[in-house]
Amino acid sequence: MLKYILKRILMVIPVLLGVSVIIFLITRVLAPDPAPVVLGEHATQEAMAAWRVEHGLADPIWLQFVNFIGNAVQGDLGTSYYTHQPVTREIAARFPATAELAICAIIVAALIGIALGVIAAVRKNKAADHASMLVALVGVSMPIFWSGILLIILFAGILHVLPSNGRVAPMLEPSGGTRFFIIDTLMSGDMEAFRDVLRHLILPTLALSLYSMAIITRMTRSSMLDTLNEDYIRTARAKGLKQRVVNIRHALRNAMLPVSTVIGLQFGSLLGGALLTETVFSWPGIGKFAVDSVLKSDFPVVQGVVLLVAVIFVFMNLAVDIIYAFLDPKIKYGNKEEG
Amino acid sequence: MADTKLTANPTLDGVALKKNTEKHESILKDVWEGVYSNKAAFVSLCFIILLAVIAIVTKLFPQVLPYDPNLQNLSQALLPPSLEHWCGTDQQGRDILTRILTGTQISLTVGFAAVAISLVTGVLLGSIAGYRGGATDTIIMRCMDMMLAIPSILLAIAIMAALGKGVEKAVIAIGLVAIPEYARIVRSEILSIKESDYVAAARIIGDTDFQIILRHILPNVLPSIIVRATLGVSMAILDTAALGFLGLGVQPPLAEWGDMLGRGRADIFRAPWLMTFPGLAIMLTVLAFNLLGNGIRDGLDPKTRKR
Amino acid sequence: MSENVFDRRKFLQLLAAATASVGAFNLVGCGGGGNAGGGGGGGGGGATDTVIYAQGAEPRALDPALFDDGESAKPSFCIYESLYRYGDRDASVHPCLALELPDISADGLIYTIKLREGVKFHDGTDFDAEAVKASVERQLAPNLTEDMPYATFVFGEEAAGIGVKTVEAIDPYTVKFTMRTPSASFLKNLAMCIAAPIVSPSALDAHKNDLSEAPCGTGPYKFVSWTKSDNVKLEAFEDYWDTANKPKTKNVVFKVIPENATRVTALLNGEVDIIDGVDVSMADQIKGAGYNLFAEDGMTINYMAFNTNSGVCTDQEVRQALAMAVNVNELVTTLYGEYATPANTVMPIWMAPYDKDIPFSPFDPAKAKETLAAKGITKLSCLTYSNPRPYNTKNGQVLAETIQGYFAAAGVTMSITPFDWTTYKSKLQTDEYDICFYGWTGDNGDPDNFMNLLADSNWAMNVARFNDADYKALIKKGLETNEGPARDAVYKQCEELVAEKRPWLTISHSKNLCGLNPKIKNFFYHPTGVALMRDVSKDA
Repeated sequence: MLKYILKRILMVIPVLLGVSVIIFLITRVLAPDPAPVVLGEHATQEAMAAWRVEHGLADPIWLQFVNFIGNAVQGDLGTSYYTHQPVTREIAARFPATAELAICAIIVAALIGIALGVIAAVRKNKAADHASMLVALVGVSMPIFWSGILLIILFAGILHVLPSNGRVAPMLEPSGGTRFFIIDTLMSGDMEAFRDVLRHLILPTLALSLYSMAIITRMTRSSMLDTLNEDYIRTARAKGLKQRVVNIRHALRNAMLPVSTVIGLQFGSLLGGALLTETVFSWPGIGKFAVDSVLKSDFPVVQGVVLLVAVIFVFMNLAVDIIYAFLDPKIKYGNKEEG
Repeated sequence: MADTKLTANPTLDGVALKKNTEKHESILKDVWEGVYSNKAAFVSLCFIILLAVIAIVTKLFPQVLPYDPNLQNLSQALLPPSLEHWCGTDQQGRDILTRILTGTQISLTVGFAAVAISLVTGVLLGSIAGYRGGATDTIIMRCMDMMLAIPSILLAIAIMAALGKGVEKAVIAIGLVAIPEYARIVRSEILSIKESDYVAAARIIGDTDFQIILRHILPNVLPSIIVRATLGVSMAILDTAALGFLGLGVQPPLAEWGDMLGRGRADIFRAPWLMTFPGLAIMLTVLAFNLLGNGIRDGLDPKTRKR
Repeated sequence: MSENVFDRRKFLQLLAAATASVGAFNLVGCGGGGNAGGGGGGGGGGATDTVIYAQGAEPRALDPALFDDGESAKPSFCIYESLYRYGDRDASVHPCLALELPDISADGLIYTIKLREGVKFHDGTDFDAEAVKASVERQLAPNLTEDMPYATFVFGEEAAGIGVKTVEAIDPYTVKFTMRTPSASFLKNLAMCIAAPIVSPSALDAHKNDLSEAPCGTGPYKFVSWTKSDNVKLEAFEDYWDTANKPKTKNVVFKVIPENATRVTALLNGEVDIIDGVDVSMADQIKGAGYNLFAEDGMTINYMAFNTNSGVCTDQEVRQALAMAVNVNELVTTLYGEYATPANTVMPIWMAPYDKDIPFSPFDPAKAKETLAAKGITKLSCLTYSNPRPYNTKNGQVLAETIQGYFAAAGVTMSITPFDWTTYKSKLQTDEYDICFYGWTGDNGDPDNFMNLLADSNWAMNVARFNDADYKALIKKGLETNEGPARDAVYKQCEELVAEKRPWLTISHSKNLCGLNPKIKNFFYHPTGVALMRDVSKDA
């Protein structure tokens, strides 16, 4: 077991190295010359050449890569072409916004997804099942940006009951603290701000969670159906245990194993979806920052965000695998087959 | 947006696929039965065929369209839906229905072409990895892990930002990001059957590795690949729309649904039809591919049919 | 059927819990702020203490030497002041931190400026001649870095032999600028809120010459916080020197809402009080909802450029004929409605040397067709941009496509290749084209700032690739002539020359559109792209 976990952790290193290669290839080798974009409308050819030399873009490509990796390992992701501030700081300033949104979304997606999935499985082929499956289908089929805009139109544009953008009304924004506004406002005991934070979270969370919610619903349903057909459930039922107790105590608990894996993995995809959600809701997180930076050709920032998201994704996978290894005695360690 | 790992492991989703090589001729029959017996899947298939017909007809015979999808007419700008313009007109006076119809060309082209890229490359890499094993396997699969570590839409955006706008670039970006999923499916399928008796038998007869992969292994992998590819088309269409929405998709004035939707945002209150209809078009098409994919999966899944 | 009861009940509980919580928030929202945004935070009676201004992009930096974008200029304009300022409603120059207009030597090389006494920076430092010296010298060689995009524009550079040679503190409240060459636009440059403001020298020391995230000036508002990608908060500065013009509102927030439609939604939803960059198409929606629309002429020009360096448009008659094919008035009305003015010349209407007598390009499709046919012109290539720009709130592509229609009527097919703005700018330097679209937003209200574009050797600026000795001589003369009628006459000659040789077809001057909550008082969006928030107040 320990050997498996150690091996799994060591495997993270080459993956991260590979991710940096991919990112580097895209943003340095494939991408167009950033000099004219960065230096703006007054720049001359000489100024651009000088700028390239100063930013190490005139070095041979392998040297650029070595420098990039060397600095990245030390936590230095370079300087934004646009704001001239360290990328690490720019990202750190925005990351809590994305994390808060993604965590809320995964919680909502998991709660509603599991609830719908259980209902669908228990009431298989009845109206509740069909309704849940319909919700799940629409969830995976609706473009996230479209549902987001529709929510804004309805709740902010027409009904005027929820805010259209941002994390909190500016004057209620907590200063300092963790930058996770739910925590910060609760710690400071400012309930007005806390409610405002929640109000701002509702629409983006809903839009972002829809897709994962759908996946989790489907997963829970099929996993529940599988366990409900297992012998021990039948035995439990035969022993006269109440249906409800069987459903909860036995079926759901066993069905949760694959479901929890999916939830863990969905967190990674959520970070990708956050890109679009944040754009729609002007959410001040790294997703919107990445899109803006792509449009501005601010490649150090793009590199930084992609790298950060990849690191989170890799470590989420690692965590899921390790937890899975603890939970599921059936896994054979050292086996080449993927779990 | 694309959910990466879930579908990469179909057994998780309650699908235990048949591993019986003698019956591989019947796969198509199973697919058809699954679709035919499932009302939603059948309707979806008809809808997709209709879309394909629309795409081909509007491409080959654009004269059947009542309006030129790209020709502006400022005096006709932002007309609400009416008998002449069923879905209204956009900021440049172009008929939205016409643009949605021609938009099928791009959505379906990108959808199918991107899946073709990821399918061919993914199956090839997956088969090599699974069949050869050892260092080859490790290298290929680690590379796949690396690509999987970056959310697909983020990777696609970065690629588009580097390459610039254009249909063919969108195809490459969206196709590349899905390769690992196919590779993983194929590899795990191969691992589970490579030591089976019939493969061993084929080896004794003297079949080459290539023949074994082609004759014995791929047919077994086919069902899960078909299901994944159908769902893959829907993901590719969603990703295309997302790129278009972010302004990284096609070169204007080409009609692309996500791009139309993104441009319509500025007028959501004055002209809500600008983003309503493209949004519906995306959703219905993606829904159709999802339903079809589910139908096919049910058709190929002995457990589902039993129940 | 016990299972059904269980599931339904559990589901209903969940559902009830979910809707109840949503409902509670709504209720609180309505009760608290009176609208969804909550806005002022206090929500009490009297004038509110907070005004929220929503703009379309994140500021780049809040150090005047380190930005070149309008989005940084807006908050910076509240924080910093320069030696001179523009008139509240025009581009005339008035003393600000300087006591009076400068004493300029006869040869135009020495500027002696008396400074205002008793002014404090936000960090408590006194404003004096050394502060001016520090603010300017950091933007001169050898301190100049390329992170300072406007430094050479405002203060010149040695290589070009222009601009400021030295700046000296003669006594604590007198500074002396020594110029390399006379420059009539220098005074206007000193009033720019980009690059020219005076920053606190002690803050510069404390923050290693970079105030982008720790701005410190003498302005009516001092910096409170900057939440990246979201907002910049400012607070009234109690020790502001201009006691007659103390800020009317305590808190001013600049909020970033990139999407035009969302910005309008936020305004109408009561989340923000002022929005700028309103799309023409949304103007009616704002008015219809009972909100106020601010629409005043901006300092912009939107034009089509002919490539005068290569291709068919090197022929002046072809350029004139093509211009003749376009009905500029109709074009502007259709595209921009009442929110832009057709441009007869390069200079915006409200700038001094603007001359309404410069003739519009005549619209004569028959003659255009005849000339073009005689010249054998049937095909043109065109590059354009796909993003909206301040001078063209539609985008270059819509504009190009409209003009494509006019050319088609004159028997010429124009192919359009659009690029996103950043790509477009580099394509203009490298690619071949017959026609392209561009525009300009003025920096300092000086005519040279507009007219020298056509004399620039950089093709990214001079997209018509216009290279005309007469024109260049006029531009040089303009810079060396002191402000006044003689100088205006020089620029009028420039404008006439452009009308005659037609390197550009000038299309429109856009209006700046802002949406205002009806409770907002005294708002004015200055043509230089900033708003004087000091005078703005909001009724409760």
